[in-house]
Amino acid sequence: MAWQIQCTASAPLISPPPSLKPKCLPPHALVFTLPVARSSRFRSTHTPSPRPVAASLSTVESPTSAGGLDDSSKTPLLEVKGLTAVIAETKQEILKGVNLVIHQGEIHAIMGKNGSGKSTFSKVLVGHPDYEVTGGSVVFKGENLLDMEPEERSLAGLFMSFQAPVEIPGVSNIDFLNMAYNARRKKLGEPELGPLEFYAYIYPKLDLVNMKTDFLNRNVNEGFSGGERKRNEILQLAVLGADLAILDEIDSGLDVDALRDVAKAVNGLLTPKNSVLMITHYRRLLEVIKPTCIHIMEDGRIIKTGDSSLAEVLEEKGYIAISAA
Amino acid sequence: MAALAFTHQNLLQFTPKLTPSKPKLKSKRTKTRLSIQTLTASPQASFTDQFVLQLADSLEDSLPSSSSPLPLQKLRDDSSEALLSTQWPSRKDESFRFTDTSFIRNSNIKPISHPPESLSFLDDSGDTQFKSLNFIDGFLVDSSFDSSNLPDGVYVGSLSKLSSEGILKRVSGFLGDFEWGDLFWSVNGLGAPDLMVIYVPEGCRVENPIYLKYISVEGGNEGSKKVPLSNPRVFVLVEKGGEIGIVEEFVGKEGSECYWTNSVLEVVVGEGGKVKHSYLQKQSLSAAHIKWTSVRQESTSTYELVEVSTGGKLSRHNVHVQQLGSDTATELTTFHLCVGDQTQDLHSRIVLDHPRGYTQQLHKCIVAHSSGQAVFDGNVKVNRFAQQTDAGQLTRSLLLEPRATVNIKPNLQIIADDVKCSHGAAISDLEDSQLFYFQARGIDLETARKALVFSFGAEVIDRLPYSFVQKQVKDHVKELLQSPR
Repeated sequence: MAWQIQCTASAPLISPPPSLKPKCLPPHALVFTLPVARSSRFRSTHTPSPRPVAASLSTVESPTSAGGLDDSSKTPLLEVKGLTAVIAETKQEILKGVNLVIHQGEIHAIMGKNGSGKSTFSKVLVGHPDYEVTGGSVVFKGENLLDMEPEERSLAGLFMSFQAPVEIPGVSNIDFLNMAYNARRKKLGEPELGPLEFYAYIYPKLDLVNMKTDFLNRNVNEGFSGGERKRNEILQLAVLGADLAILDEIDSGLDVDALRDVAKAVNGLLTPKNSVLMITHYRRLLEVIKPTCIHIMEDGRIIKTGDSSLAEVLEEKGYIAISAA
Repeated sequence: MAALAFTHQNLLQFTPKLTPSKPKLKSKRTKTRLSIQTLTASPQASFTDQFVLQLADSLEDSLPSSSSPLPLQKLRDDSSEALLSTQWPSRKDESFRFTDTSFIRNSNIKPISHPPESLSFLDDSGDTQFKSLNFIDGFLVDSSFDSSNLPDGVYVGSLSKLSSEGILKRVSGFLGDFEWGDLFWSVNGLGAPDLMVIYVPEGCRVENPIYLKYISVEGGNEGSKKVPLSNPRVFVLVEKGGEIGIVEEFVGKEGSECYWTNSVLEVVVGEGGKVKHSYLQKQSLSAAHIKWTSVRQESTSTYELVEVSTGGKLSRHNVHVQQLGSDTATELTTFHLCVGDQTQDLHSRIVLDHPRGYTQQLHKCIVAHSSGQAVFDGNVKVNRFAQQTDAGQLTRSLLLEPRATVNIKPNLQIIADDVKCSHGAAISDLEDSQLFYFQARGIDLETARKALVFSFGAEVIDRLPYSFVQKQVKDHVKELLQSPR
C-alpha cells in the first residue's frame, strides 16, 4: 500500500540532532515554528531547514521501507491496515481503506472535510455498534482490536472522547467514574475502590480540568454545557488513563479559555509512552497540542500525511489544495 | 375466568350472619346511599356475590369479640352493607380491565384473627433512624413505640386507646366517608381489627416522620392454596396548619410467602396543612397486596406522595385525592418494578373542584420479566370551578424483556376552560447510545444495563424526603435487579 505512514521515515535524509535520538520524545520537545506555509514536500527537499524536526516529519508519499532502522527502536501502538467499514443499518461504505500507524509517544491529528469519515474512523476503532467493519485489520498493542468488545478495547488502553457525549440521567458522575475505574482495577487484579477511597483518588484530578466538586454529584452530562461535557470527557481520560486517547473534536464548541484548559489537561496527561489521535477542524487546537504528524482524510481514506505545516496549508487554501496536490 | 362465573343462583342469597344481630347505628347518610343504589344501580350490581358473602362471613368471624369503639363499629356496619351489593371484580369492570384478581379469588382466603404469639422476630436493633410502629398481620403492636418525643396534642396510636373525646369526634366525622371505594375498600372496612389514628393539632409541626411498618408473618407456601388476609387501617388527620411526614413500609417476614395484605390509609389535611407520604411496598413475590390511599385536602394544603413498589405477585395501589379548596397542591411520584411474574398496578384519581389547584404526577415503571405486567390508570379531573389549575402528568415505562407488558391509561378530564395541563407517556427499552457510553469506558454490558435500569427508578427514589429511607430503598432495588431471575 502506498500509504504506509512512517512519521520518521525520512529522518535519514538529514542527520537529526542528538536530542531526537530517543524516539519517545515528550511532545513539547517538538517545536513547529516554520515561518512560511508551503507545501511540505517542497520544504523537505528544497529547504534544508535548520529545524530538522520538521523536516524529519515531512510527508512520505511513497511506500517506504526506509524507516526500518528507526522503527526497530519504536514500538507501534496502533496499526491500521486497509480498514473498510459501512454504516450497519444502510450498508453505506464510509471507510474505504484507511492505513495508519501510531507509535508510542506520538501525537497524530486527522483533519478533513465534514463527512470525510474522521469521526467514523474513531468510532470504528472503539467498536461503535452503528458501524460494521468489512475489511482490513487493526492491531492495538499487538492484539487484534476488531475481535474485542468495546469494553475490552477500553480496558486494553484505548480511550475515545465523544464528540457529543450522551446524558445519563440518574447516574451521578462520580458513580459512573467509580464504576469505570473499578472495571479497570478488576482487570488488573487490584481491589476495587469504595466510594470514599475513590473520592480521595479523584478529588485532585478535578483541578486538572478546572471543575468544582459539585460536578461529581451531578448526573453524567445532564444539563452540562458544551464546555462542561468536553471537560468531563477529559476528566474521564485523566481518571482512567489510556495508552491511546482519541479526541474526537474535543475543541468544537469551546471558547478560548475552555480550549486552553482542555489542552492543558491533555498535555498534562501525556507521557513518553502514551499517544494521542486528535480529530479536528481547526488549527488552533494543534497550536496548543502539538502533533507529530497530521493526516488529511477524504472520502474514507487518508490522502495525505505531513507535519503541522499541513494545517497551515489547509487554513490558507482549503482542502481543495490538498486534494489537488 | 373464575371471577366471571357468577350465575343467577347467586341472586340475593343472604347468609344470616350478615344480617346484623348487634344493634346497628345507621346514619342518615348510609340510608341515602342505599336508596341511591337501589335507584341507579345496574341490575347486575344488585346481585349478591356468594363468594363475597362467604368472605364477609369469615371476616366477621375473625373480628375480636370485645366491643369496638363506635366509629369503628359504624365503619364495619357500613362496609358489610356495601359488601352485600358488591361483586368480586372481573375483567369486565373498567377499573379491573387489565388487572386479573382471580389469583386471590381462587385461593383459600383466611382472615387472620389474632396477631402471632411471639414477636421475637422483631429486631429493634435500630438500623432505622426512627422507631417504627409495627402492624403485625394487620394488628397494631405499639408497645415499642415511644410517644414521649411527640409534640403536645399529637396522638399516634390505636383508636381504642384514644382518651380524647374531641379527637374521637373529629375522627368519627370523617372515617370511611368515601363514595369511591370498591370491594377491597369495603373488605378492609369490615375486616380491620382496629384503627390506628394519627392526629396532628392545629399549627403543629411534627419534626420526625411517623414510620409505620406493616409486617406479614402468617403465610402459606406456594403449594398450599391458603392465603392469610390482613386488613390494617390507618387514619391521619392533620388540622389547620399542621405538618407531618408518614412513611409506610410493607414487608413479609422471611419465609412467609403467600398472604394477602389489604390495607387502607385515609388522610385528611386541614387548611394550609402539609403531609409528606412515603410508601414502600416490598412484599414477597408470591403475595397479594391491595392498598387504598384516600386523601382529602382543604384549601392551600399540600400532599406529597412518593411510592416505590417492588413486591407482590399482584399489587395494586388505588390513590384518590380530592381537593376541597382553592390553592391546593398535590404531588404524586411513583415507581413500580416487576422483576418477576408480577402485576404492579397504580390507579390514581385526582379531583380538582376549586380555583388555582396544582397537581404534578410522575409515574415510572420497569417490567424486567417476560410475564411481568404494569398497569397505570391515572385520572386527573379538572372540574368546572377549578379555573387556573396547573396540572401535569407524565408516565414513563421501561420494558426490558420480550413479552413484558404495560397497560397505560393516562387521562386528563378537563371541564374548566382556563387551565394549564400537560401529559405525556413514553414506553421504551434502554438507549443504545447510553449503553455504549458505559462500554466505551470499560464497563461491561450487564453492569451498564443494571446501572441504567437502576437510574431510571432513582429519579423517583431520590424524591423520598428522608435520606435513610432513600438509602434503604436504593439498596433493596439494587438487590432485586441483581438477583438472577
